[in-house]
Amino acid sequence: MMTLFEVRNVTYRYNSRQQRPSLDNITLDINEGRRTAILGANGAGKSTLFYHLNGIFKPKEGEVRYNGVPLDYDRNKLRELRNDICVVVQNPDEQIFSSTVESDVAFGPMSMGLPKEDVDERVESALDMVGMLDYRRRPSTQLSYGQRKRVSLAGALAVRPKVMILDEPTAGLDPQMAREVMELVDQMCCDGTTVILSTHDVDLVYSWAEEIIVLNHGELVYSGEPEEFFSDPEKTAFAGLCRPHTFSINSYVSEISGKEQTPYPRTNSQIVAKMAPEGSKGGSIRVVPTKDDMAPADFEGTVGVMGYYSKKTVLAKGIRYDYMFDALEMCMQDAVKGMDSLLYCDESMVNLAVDRIRSLERFGMKVEAIL
Amino acid sequence: MSEQTQMDTLAYSSRMLEWAPLGKLLFVISVLIVNIMTESILVPFVTLAIGLILMAYSTNFKIPFMIALAILEAFVILIFGAGVVSVNGDMSDPAIWDTDFLWMHFHMTETSFNEAWLILLRGTAGVAVMLSFATSTPIPYMSLGLKQVRMPVEVIEIVVLIYRYAFLLLERMEAMWNAASSRMGFNGKMTSIRTVAAIAIGIFIQSTNLSDKSQVALECRNYRGYFPVYREPAKTGVKWILVIIITSVSIYLFGMYTSDWVNMAELLGVA
Repeated sequence: MMTLFEVRNVTYRYNSRQQRPSLDNITLDINEGRRTAILGANGAGKSTLFYHLNGIFKPKEGEVRYNGVPLDYDRNKLRELRNDICVVVQNPDEQIFSSTVESDVAFGPMSMGLPKEDVDERVESALDMVGMLDYRRRPSTQLSYGQRKRVSLAGALAVRPKVMILDEPTAGLDPQMAREVMELVDQMCCDGTTVILSTHDVDLVYSWAEEIIVLNHGELVYSGEPEEFFSDPEKTAFAGLCRPHTFSINSYVSEISGKEQTPYPRTNSQIVAKMAPEGSKGGSIRVVPTKDDMAPADFEGTVGVMGYYSKKTVLAKGIRYDYMFDALEMCMQDAVKGMDSLLYCDESMVNLAVDRIRSLERFGMKVEAIL
Repeated sequence: MSEQTQMDTLAYSSRMLEWAPLGKLLFVISVLIVNIMTESILVPFVTLAIGLILMAYSTNFKIPFMIALAILEAFVILIFGAGVVSVNGDMSDPAIWDTDFLWMHFHMTETSFNEAWLILLRGTAGVAVMLSFATSTPIPYMSLGLKQVRMPVEVIEIVVLIYRYAFLLLERMEAMWNAASSRMGFNGKMTSIRTVAAIAIGIFIQSTNLSDKSQVALECRNYRGYFPVYREPAKTGVKWILVIIITSVSIYLFGMYTSDWVNMAELLGVA
């Protein structure tokens, strides 16, 4: 696994009078292709750290390396860097400055000097991915908060960066939209983008991240796999965070039943699989990669749809479905209950779906993933 | 929704939205100039008709209440102005109405009466023509149109950014206003004044914060010192120039020909 970012002894102050630095001697690594989340209470330094990764802020002490090379703060070099690394800020109003939706999404590709046809293609596909294609000519002043959030995400998607940094991507969104956004994030990961996100939402982080970085008042509290951090209640409290529900329930259950805490379940389906009586047999999940010429499957059980292309195709063909959002998890929950389900899935997400389905086996429940 | 937001919504839904913004602007300016070039009282009627027809086509006359109220307000001001002109006639001319009120002396003559009508009609026609433009051309479209006449890019970008952030600040102001109302911030005159002042300060501080954060966001999006234009507005071609010339010349000639056709004082029987 290649190290993408190496942050070495970075200290940053917004101004010289600031007594406590916003980042205090931070050293950490962020690996390519790993789902990394930065956790911390308000004012912990999450955004400040982000802005060091794309060269907006230059450390007062220490250095940041990208692909093993120290960041060069020359204007042209920074432009090259920012073609690779896209930051989506928390408040979409700070990011959207064009008057119409499509012109804002086109800003990145046009600034990269791409030909008109490429810009058109990118704008269309990015807007389609976030479900805003019908709003492309709408003025950005006439959008709801959720729509603006989607547009800001589309603006980043259109750049097709190697690294996507999302600052609180689900803040202020309703639960359905938040899940939609996280599915998009998964899709980006499957397409080869390294995604780093910051959030306060420990439940979200626990179910999504492979690695977490925890900050508190500008200091690094923890960097590594989430389980180790959340196993330490003092550290969790010190960072101003709570333990994720799934983690807590697993702890309580293991205390009551005497079962081992490991393996740690991260999702509802995993915890239910772990709590099920020994030897129970789950249902099966048929994973169908979506294709243009796909015909509706003759299937009795529940049907889920995962990935933006699959959603588009299923809706266009009028194929029956039960779960349009968080479909994989919903199908897994059904499978844990012994039901069979079918999951229409984007080609690039098939491996992710199969891996997650097979992960249930570690929790004592065999659920068959049929390809 | 504020007047500005309503006007913006109206402009974006206009059937004339895709017409060349610069063409529309030049057309409106030329009609407005011709409107005041002749003494004929019939010319403002023609201008008014053009304005109303364009507005009808642009908005289907589905004008929001707040905008209608704003038009009415402009009309009331025009009536007041015309009234002042009509009672300030030349003292050497015979009066059709003459009176004293407090320290003021009113002297209405046939000329001042006709002049007042001309001003009122010209003003009304002007408002109608300008509204036909305003209800069909969002600010960003107009600024992009100005690019075609070599307006400096910096000016255009500032206009677009002001437009974008003005709406955000208006939105924030509305939220602060509602929050203040919920906390009885408008209970009594002095409290209201203090609340409005606090809101104004709050908006000012927020605008500076927003500009700082937007600067960072711009950098994050690889801003290179200019805003590339994704969809260029329609160009002002020969057709537009012809329409503008033909319309202006026709109205002007019509005005010259009909300059002494109508005498409002005689028509209304006050002469």
